[in-house]
Amino acid sequence: MGNGFSKKIITDHVTGEGEGEYLPVKVDFVLLHDPALVLLLPELEKLQEKIWNKEKVLITVDHFAPPSTVERANLVKKVIDFIEKEGITNSLVYKGICHQLLVEGPWIGPGMLVLGADSHTTTAGALGCFATGMSSTDILYTLITGKTWLMPPTAVRIDLTGKLPPYIMGKDIALELLKRKGQDGFLYKALEFYDRDKAVSMDDRFAICNMVVEGGAKNGSFFPDDITYEYMTKRGGARGGITPPFEDNFQYKEKIKVDLAQLKPAVALPHSPSNVVNAADLKGVAIDQVFIGSCTGGRLRDLRMAAYILGGKRVERHVRLIIQPASNKVYMEALKRGYIQSLMDAGGVILNPGCGPCGGIDKGILAAGERCVSASNRNFKGRMGDPLSMVYLASPLTAAASALKGEITDPGEV
Amino acid sequence: MTDTSTIIQGRIWKLGDQVNTDILHPPSFFSLERERIKKGLLEGMKRLGSGVNSASLDEDLVIVAGYNFGCGSSRETSVRALLACGIKAVVAKSFARIFFRSLVNMGIPPLVCGNIHDRACDGEKCLIDPENGFIKLSSKNKYRFSPIDSHIKKVLSSGGLIPYLVENSDEL
Repeated sequence: MGNGFSKKIITDHVTGEGEGEYLPVKVDFVLLHDPALVLLLPELEKLQEKIWNKEKVLITVDHFAPPSTVERANLVKKVIDFIEKEGITNSLVYKGICHQLLVEGPWIGPGMLVLGADSHTTTAGALGCFATGMSSTDILYTLITGKTWLMPPTAVRIDLTGKLPPYIMGKDIALELLKRKGQDGFLYKALEFYDRDKAVSMDDRFAICNMVVEGGAKNGSFFPDDITYEYMTKRGGARGGITPPFEDNFQYKEKIKVDLAQLKPAVALPHSPSNVVNAADLKGVAIDQVFIGSCTGGRLRDLRMAAYILGGKRVERHVRLIIQPASNKVYMEALKRGYIQSLMDAGGVILNPGCGPCGGIDKGILAAGERCVSASNRNFKGRMGDPLSMVYLASPLTAAASALKGEITDPGEV
Repeated sequence: MTDTSTIIQGRIWKLGDQVNTDILHPPSFFSLERERIKKGLLEGMKRLGSGVNSASLDEDLVIVAGYNFGCGSSRETSVRALLACGIKAVVAKSFARIFFRSLVNMGIPPLVCGNIHDRACDGEKCLIDPENGFIKLSSKNKYRFSPIDSHIKKVLSSGGLIPYLVENSDEL
């Protein structure tokens, strides 16, 4: 009855007696970024407790990276001082977005229990682990105890079948699920993905798991397979190149099938990620800005696809194209492969890796009445700027095609 | 909340379904300063078109919301803002999970109640009896909320997750 591998990972980590519907569990790895950490520093100091295991923590500075105001500079300084004082070796300052840095590093793999002080921590589930987001105080509890309390989730099995059509990306799969189930259709659930036909690349899997939280899910995890292990072997580190930590014999009450061949490039209209229609139906909707970046749409495959559409061409003259690689590794590889050159030749501006415009933090903030096609994950009112701006979520392919035409465009049409 | 037997009274701030943290507390109001965080919630009230405003903060408030309250970002400033503005409880048809945990961590009881939303009015006074599991509106009508989980009850009784951690430090 809905007892998937997420529940198995949780029960495998139980330590001590449960209370109510919650189980106390050991945590394998914790992810923290600048704004989440800075909120808990005063409490941490007051409690005078030590971090339970410094090797199991990654601290990034990615939101205010580098800081754009005096207030933020002072916040970042507190974080950097803490990293130095505590001797945190797993710390990455201005190297990219925490969710990308976590999966690039050697720390996590299938079967592990991972927490992050950010809702998009679900991204890491693409590696076959249980990964979920919490807010600062929950993470403080874990930093001190190495534990947390979790309610074992009901699982939904999602089978991705068939071949991925050339103009469809992980983002379109995520939007399809949100279209079917709505903004709370997966509330508290574990989404467990099976990609038997090995149709979906790791970068697309990260984008899918990243966005499960927009449907309310607790986590989204791919059953580990050859694609997972090939990625991990290349990356090195935790559990690279071994077999899955659990057998493929889970029972599910709820199952969803996504026939990849039937998918069309999708767009989420303002102001909800579940407000999804086909890109082709939005022909004629003029846009001011295109953003290709974030922990959803700033990976190497995303930049490759954008460069494929825009290579040798120019974006429509009214459109500001903003590109922000998800990490320095992604950035440097994209440089080496010429994607950055193509995107700049097409008229794009490249931001340093970080969270930037996605969370309305800096560089690329929208004015009242402006429309932006964004490869990011949220289009809530005012998230990327003025409350009267409008954000349309789409894949990097659809975003690039839209930049070219100056209006929302199905990438199959360019 | 210091004890789940304490009666909570307040004026209702009524909100709809799918209220996300980006609108409730816009990201640009992220700060360590309490006053700045409070301003963020006032901006959220404005953006949500609520009748509740800064003058309402002189009294205790109880949020009555629809489905999936607090979805989106995990920024704890949104919940800290509720605490700073004197929100005593949040009653919703359902909660986004990170927000639910954050409310508990801050010692604000999140109560799940399916049928009060249609009857409650913005600005109306209400009384919550956590021990007996009901909310009373000024019309005297009572609405039951789902029982509070025993683990959640313990954390709320401590006043939030940090006091709970201090009280249970022998578990470390």
